[in-house]
Amino acid sequence: MSDWITFALPKGRILEDSMELFAQIGITCPEMSEKSRKLVFENPELKLRFMAVRATDVPTYVEYGCADIGVVGKDTLLEQGKDLYEPVDMKFGYCRLVVAEPKDLQAEDNPLNWSNIRVATKYPNVTERYFAEKGIQVELIKLYGSIELAPLVGLSERIVDLVSTGGTLKANGMVEVDTIAEITSRLIVNRASLKTKHQRIGKIIAALEKVVGDEVRISE
Amino acid sequence: MINSNALPESALPKGVRDFLPLKAAKVEYLQQQLQQVMAAWGFRPVITPQLEFFDQLEKGLGGDLHARAFRFDDRQSGRLLAFPPDITPQIARIAATRMRELPLPLRLSYSGKVLRHTEEQAGKNREIFQVGVELIGLGQPEADAEMIAMAIECLQGSGAKDFTLDIGQVEFFRGVMDGLSLSSDLARRVAGAIGRKDSTELRALLDEAGVDEAAREEVLALPRLFGGREVLERAAKLVKNQRSQRALDNLTQVLALLDRHGIAEYVTFDLGELRGLDYHTGITFQGFLPGYGQAVCSGGRYDGLMANYGNPAPATGFTFDLLNLLFALDRALEDQVKPRTDLLVYACEGAVLRAQQLTPRLRAAGFSAARDMLDRSIDEALAYARLMNYRRLLVVPVGEAALRLVNPSSENEDSLTLEELLQRKEL
Repeated sequence: MSDWITFALPKGRILEDSMELFAQIGITCPEMSEKSRKLVFENPELKLRFMAVRATDVPTYVEYGCADIGVVGKDTLLEQGKDLYEPVDMKFGYCRLVVAEPKDLQAEDNPLNWSNIRVATKYPNVTERYFAEKGIQVELIKLYGSIELAPLVGLSERIVDLVSTGGTLKANGMVEVDTIAEITSRLIVNRASLKTKHQRIGKIIAALEKVVGDEVRISE
Repeated sequence: MINSNALPESALPKGVRDFLPLKAAKVEYLQQQLQQVMAAWGFRPVITPQLEFFDQLEKGLGGDLHARAFRFDDRQSGRLLAFPPDITPQIARIAATRMRELPLPLRLSYSGKVLRHTEEQAGKNREIFQVGVELIGLGQPEADAEMIAMAIECLQGSGAKDFTLDIGQVEFFRGVMDGLSLSSDLARRVAGAIGRKDSTELRALLDEAGVDEAAREEVLALPRLFGGREVLERAAKLVKNQRSQRALDNLTQVLALLDRHGIAEYVTFDLGELRGLDYHTGITFQGFLPGYGQAVCSGGRYDGLMANYGNPAPATGFTFDLLNLLFALDRALEDQVKPRTDLLVYACEGAVLRAQQLTPRLRAAGFSAARDMLDRSIDEALAYARLMNYRRLLVVPVGEAALRLVNPSSENEDSLTLEELLQRKEL
């Protein structure tokens, strides 16, 4: 099995975008287009295997070597800080990780005066680092979804979350205060795989670099 | 079901483990295999203490190990003590002080456990088993090649079939960076991006720094300079600076020596590999097994280390992380390593004296043997022998009657005299 290449891809739109891009460099998996509830798909001719997993689990499968290659958002990589190679920016899945707050708070707010603020987020590590660099003490509230709700009900004054078009923020009366990072999907590679399968993986990286566009795009 | 009101008290802190006989046998087996290779190459073991003065230890600690040492006050001396997070600085201290009158080179090996703080993440070990060597006093490429050849032999000796020894050279990177004159913060971020092979981030950082076109091309190539020996040719076409060229010459010389050893097939190169950048001074290398995400061994040249202990000398070495090696080879070792005892000696009623007398003779003949002292039936003793991995149950009857040698799993049995059993080479 060690001459196979295994991919871990996040279920949903990023998986579709990834397979579209992979198809351009000859990486395909006909089995995947069949309707099925399988989690692992194979292309035995090309010795390729694909696993569909939760986005936040992609780095784990790759770090432990269950998958050689993965595709995952830079947000997840920043949050998890795993020991992985991230050689190619796939340019899709564009969004921004931002600090946001309710519009009426913003009127009298000056970030220079921030201290001891409460922030709700799915990204406690990134958020903590961001505020620590600014010398601001924060109380972090880790949530697993619907972050915009937190300021509306008084759980926190501010949030750190992903925005792509900004529609959700606007609809909930929030405005962006600062951008922490611009996010796109990245190709990640297990350290040992890159060394032990350098011929195949080196080719994949070189081929992908040729086909990814110059422009980032939102995946919706 | 978990009862959250009554959390069981953990018996052990996180990040350390107990090894039960089946696993412990594998750890010991691997340790012996590695030590055998090291002894065959003329490396002599030294034994280092578990406590050091922190100020002594930190002279030889690179990277983040400094912050990862377990430290505390010493009531006796009033100084700060530490559990060593790495054995290399201890060897350097010993070589530079207690062994300083001896002629170089010194070939020393070690085997022991070290402790390191880790982030509170599940599954990260705080206790690491290291088996390694230091070659002190030789700066030649042949010494670098010796380390790589030995590491390969160690991997072969431990039963690894398919593996890669990945070689880097930090001087190549330094040569490229010399031309850039970046601020230290930016240089650190550039090194980080190269380490992750993140070309996008790297490009953005170089834009920020306003690096000129020629230098830019050299830096941007670093994340892609990995692969087989063709990497060295690609790199040679790319760089103009002398420092990087010297690094490539060094790699080429080492590769020629590895060819001579007939082991170049195991080797790959990665000039963007920057681990240990702050203390390595030349060749670095790491061993990888397919399907296991972490390096099982790592090493390289650190010519500055001995000077930190007041006795400058070139030095190189490597260390195996025994637990990484164990987890990478766990299944492959299954058949090779079984902690099995040959015989469980069972006495029938009235035959205890006979059993007690013949057991030492079995051991003298080379069998491992334990006495079953409990008052129980043969069937009960057989069930025990099966569960505890005894190869045979030896049933000792009264008087001169023949011994019965029963296989606990198949329940096949032989009948034989003690003399016949003692003559046997194989059960």
